[in-house]
Amino acid sequence: MPKRRKPADVEDAEQSTPRKTRRTGKQDDNIESPSLAVETPSGRKSILRGTPSKANGVKDVDATPRSLRKVLFSTPAHKDNEGQQQGEGTPTAVRNDRSARRKSARTLQKQTVDEEGSVEEDVQEAELAKEILDEEGEAASEADDGEDIVVPEPSSTTNTPTKRRGRPPKQRDRTPSPPPDLPPHELYFFQNRTGGNKTSSNTLPSHLLLNHEDYFAHINDYKDPHEMDVKRLAELHKRAFDQWSFELEEGFNICLYGYGSKRELVMEFAEHMYYQQAYIHAKSKPKIVIVNGYTPGLTIRDILITLAGAVLPKASEAKLPAQPTAVLDLVLTHLTANPSSSAILLIIHSLDHSNLRKAPIPSLLARIASHSHINLLATVDTPNFGLLWDTTLLRQYQWLYHDATTFQPYRAELDVVEEVNALLGRSRRRLGGKDGVAFVLKSLPENARNLFRILVAEQLALADAEPGLHGASLEDDDDDSILGDSDEEAAAQHTPSRVRRGRPAKKAKPSAKKATKPSATAVPEGVEYRTLYHKAVAEFVCSSELNFRTLLKEFHDHQMIESRKDALGTERLVVPFGRVELEGMLEELA
Amino acid sequence: MEYEKCYAFEPESARPAKRRRVEPQGLHASWRARHEAYQKAWREQKQRIDAELSSINSSTVLELTKFLDGAAQSNSPGAIPTAVLSTGPDTSSRTSVIQQLSGTQNLLARKVFISISATTGGNLKALLKATIQKATSRNEGIDDQEDDSAAQNKGAKLLNYDLQILANYVREKRLQQVAIAIQDTEAFDSELLSELIELLGCWLDRIPFVFLFTIATSLDILQQRLSKGAIKCLKGQLFDVAPSEDEVERAFEAITNPSTSLWIGPELMSTALERQSDYIQSIGSFVGAAQYAYMSSYYANALSIFLDPAIKPSEVSADHFEALRNLDSFRDYCRGLLDNNEIVRLRGLFDSDDSLLKVVRAELNRGTEALANVMIAVEVVRELQLWAQGSRAAVTSKSKLYCQAMSNKLAGSSLVRSLLLSTRKARSDAAMRTLTAVMGVDIPKNLKQQCAKIRKELTDMVMNQPNTGQTLRSEDNIRNSTLRTTVVAQKVELSKQKSTLSKQDAAYTALLRRFTDLLDGYLNKTFIDPKSLLFHEIFLYDLKSPNRETFTPRPRHAIERALAAPHDYLDCSCCAPEQGDVTLAASQPATAVLYQLYLESGSLINVSDLWQAFQAVLGDAGQTEQQQMALFLRDLAELRYLGLVKGTRKRADHIAKVVWKGL
Repeated sequence: MPKRRKPADVEDAEQSTPRKTRRTGKQDDNIESPSLAVETPSGRKSILRGTPSKANGVKDVDATPRSLRKVLFSTPAHKDNEGQQQGEGTPTAVRNDRSARRKSARTLQKQTVDEEGSVEEDVQEAELAKEILDEEGEAASEADDGEDIVVPEPSSTTNTPTKRRGRPPKQRDRTPSPPPDLPPHELYFFQNRTGGNKTSSNTLPSHLLLNHEDYFAHINDYKDPHEMDVKRLAELHKRAFDQWSFELEEGFNICLYGYGSKRELVMEFAEHMYYQQAYIHAKSKPKIVIVNGYTPGLTIRDILITLAGAVLPKASEAKLPAQPTAVLDLVLTHLTANPSSSAILLIIHSLDHSNLRKAPIPSLLARIASHSHINLLATVDTPNFGLLWDTTLLRQYQWLYHDATTFQPYRAELDVVEEVNALLGRSRRRLGGKDGVAFVLKSLPENARNLFRILVAEQLALADAEPGLHGASLEDDDDDSILGDSDEEAAAQHTPSRVRRGRPAKKAKPSAKKATKPSATAVPEGVEYRTLYHKAVAEFVCSSELNFRTLLKEFHDHQMIESRKDALGTERLVVPFGRVELEGMLEELA
Repeated sequence: MEYEKCYAFEPESARPAKRRRVEPQGLHASWRARHEAYQKAWREQKQRIDAELSSINSSTVLELTKFLDGAAQSNSPGAIPTAVLSTGPDTSSRTSVIQQLSGTQNLLARKVFISISATTGGNLKALLKATIQKATSRNEGIDDQEDDSAAQNKGAKLLNYDLQILANYVREKRLQQVAIAIQDTEAFDSELLSELIELLGCWLDRIPFVFLFTIATSLDILQQRLSKGAIKCLKGQLFDVAPSEDEVERAFEAITNPSTSLWIGPELMSTALERQSDYIQSIGSFVGAAQYAYMSSYYANALSIFLDPAIKPSEVSADHFEALRNLDSFRDYCRGLLDNNEIVRLRGLFDSDDSLLKVVRAELNRGTEALANVMIAVEVVRELQLWAQGSRAAVTSKSKLYCQAMSNKLAGSSLVRSLLLSTRKARSDAAMRTLTAVMGVDIPKNLKQQCAKIRKELTDMVMNQPNTGQTLRSEDNIRNSTLRTTVVAQKVELSKQKSTLSKQDAAYTALLRRFTDLLDGYLNKTFIDPKSLLFHEIFLYDLKSPNRETFTPRPRHAIERALAAPHDYLDCSCCAPEQGDVTLAASQPATAVLYQLYLESGSLINVSDLWQAFQAVLGDAGQTEQQQMALFLRDLAELRYLGLVKGTRKRADHIAKVVWKGL
């Protein structure tokens, strides 16, 4: 019952404890109500707790004085609604299980009305839950209830529109944070409960995200304050080098796991092994094969051919069979027949990378690993790598696992900008960024450059012409405007809708708007194939379609353009870059 | 080189060779000697294990060989001779049998042995191609093969999945048999398998095929899966392979062979055995665990150098003796000497390395002998169990008893007591068998003599009793007495009434008591606490730690710990958790900060809010916003790379949480 309580709150805020706030507010109510005025204070309390009907009765009685106080803020349209809710809004009533149940029932009903409402109801539910919880807490220990000053407020904030607008951040405060020290499974359920996951609709302005060059410039500038500690950690691991080499020698294979890039560590180990073997077998050159599992496009054939190069005599290398299994058989039989003095060390970085997970590869690698003249040292990065191998493979691998947490950044393994973009769904594959494109264009003939310039200019022009129609693909500024829009929408419609509960009409609007948004994105961006061709012919860039296609193919190979079909089936060509970058390119080309 | 796919390693800087191979200092100086000792010790052990393991299925292998030979001779048309090996769910034994078999088969000329698995090919063509390739490319280099096939194919070139190639090859080499082993029958697509069988059945008149199926389930299931036509093509025979528990027991027996110098302690052994039974793993992993225990002991325990009996005092540096003198068990021993006033001897041990070495040798021998005796006593217990319970199934496995005995839980345990009690109740014929069985075990001489004496007395007693043929009964057996209740002054009195036993029975009971007392004394004496032996630190290896981490790692825990509590790894002064469990701090590595924010959030995370929280935690410690963003991007990418988050399309700029800490 916020409107009523508010003045009481204000009065009490100065002179009393939070818990008192509530009670005095209540007492105010009661004193005003003639029916209860006669009762003793102690008796009053028990009645309030016991019978909700009485509490409601109280509200009815004092309805008139309230309207005197704060009628200006509530619009008549809500009045009924509000009045009804006030019954629940009263702290006294909230204390009551029955009214809580009623409220939740109504919540359920409301949920079907609109989705915007549902978010709101979630908030309500959470508040309700919190209030009940608080109630319990109060009952249990009367001593400390410091946050009560905030807690009774949910009902008040949700009810009064004016107050609401003033302080939206408070809302976030109120999402119940998990009680500390939950066991992991409880935390899981807590964080996955229905409606428990309320996140803001803030979006990351794209100018904040860095492109490749900026990223590298900044990350190279960054000096890790933990550099010394990381080095010390690496030194610790290096002490185990002798142990590792002993283990490899004994026919086991080593699997290093843990957080941080293990590349440098392993390369040092490779060097260590190299010199150690060179020391022991002075004549023959140590054979160490390195596989970078994280490199895109790595195939098992690459690995096998490198391995064959290390094992087989130079002559037979030329005519390797086509099948990976056949190559492997050949290598292994050769190795069995002519064992070298020292075993071959095969080092695979990021063995659990998706490149190396597909069906035949693990079993082939396991066969390599199981050979007695090949030692395998592999690193894995993901925490669940154990699921990659079944018992048959494990028997062949003969792993010994070592924790090699290094805390070093995954410098070579990760393309950070690309990875984050993919994670946020911001862009498709693009290689090299703006500079990459410039580099490619430099190596292409004049005509190609002109064609690309036309394409970029057209795309920009189209984007200017119909800004609303361009979806996510023109990221930078476009995104901003759209996202900015939606932010504004949210600001304009979201807040009031949250405040005034009983108005589906107004709330329906944003949801409708949201529904239309995807269809707006569905309108294709980019330049129509035909249009571009005609433009190109007009500017004497090319003379025939064949010519035109050849030029386009070059772009396509470098992933500078993408071809998409729109809803009508017309082919459209898109340069997959943000507006700023497109403009930069246009400048460079002009 | 980091962006190359794969390459042969060359060190970047041509370093002078002097740097590596710095001679190890201190106790590690003896590593080379220990390495040799390890190799010797493990080689012996390994041979024993291999011998045990190969003998376990030798009868099956022999039968199979006979079967194959028979099939090669008889050449029955119409149906392919098929051996079905039922192995149970263990993958290891099937391969070991097949390996042994192919080993013996390869010796015999004019037979081809091919093993294919479900991964060989997904369709008939691929399967045939692989089969033909495997069959024909045996023992030939690549060059020959190509020349051969070029020379052979005078006529039309055959497609590489044409069985005619195989037929030609068989004719040319006059092969008697082409055996095809299918290792994982269950993994095959049943239609594919049926097709393959039917097709090969058609070629049986030209190519002498034999099948070897290994099945993990049962023959019925195999029959159900195959088509009728395929079943008609087969003429099967079922073979059984020993289950994996047997294998483990055999390997265990080899490991605890009395002549071993290094013993694996009960804790380590029980974890290894547990792992073996919890996950059906190959016997190789069990052997691997044992090997790793040996490796750890020899690598990390400098004193293991004394395990080599041939070691000379000149080869051992002084600090090893110093380390010996600091062992706990040696200190206790010295205290004992002091208490006995053997000061001169003690002095000698302190002053002279030679005399210490002598003691070490003697004690090591004594210690390993004591442990070997424990094994014998375990065997005695098992014999008692066998005859007391009457069935093999009731006997506790040797490995389990070993673990109990070595952790000193068997001496005076209820298990032993109840065993002896039930022995006491035995009738004379059962007692006789028990006696014989116990004497069959490799028990110490004096015990054996006493047992023999008892047995002699017993036989005399049985022979001399009036009505021969009847067994003697023990007084202790409850069935020979009756309970009588009498009411005296309103109280029930229970009284045991011995049913009438003959004089011989009484004598027999006394004899049995002598026997059990004898055994009791023996067992109590033999089941010692291995940790009480002098120098047990050297010959008994019982550390769980390196084995557990290397064989059953907890990678997820490691990553979560590294990110949630980076101080545990970095040991830096800045992030030390000072007050209680306040973990989030700006000084921590940025990824750790982000990860902890990630832990706090729900299943959907707003990246913008995450960024703001991240920024708030980092504060403005001399970094620009862009630099912080660079860190943020990097860490976000890392979280994705580790598989902790993934993109979501539910809402814009949100990511989904995938992993909950500690689950």
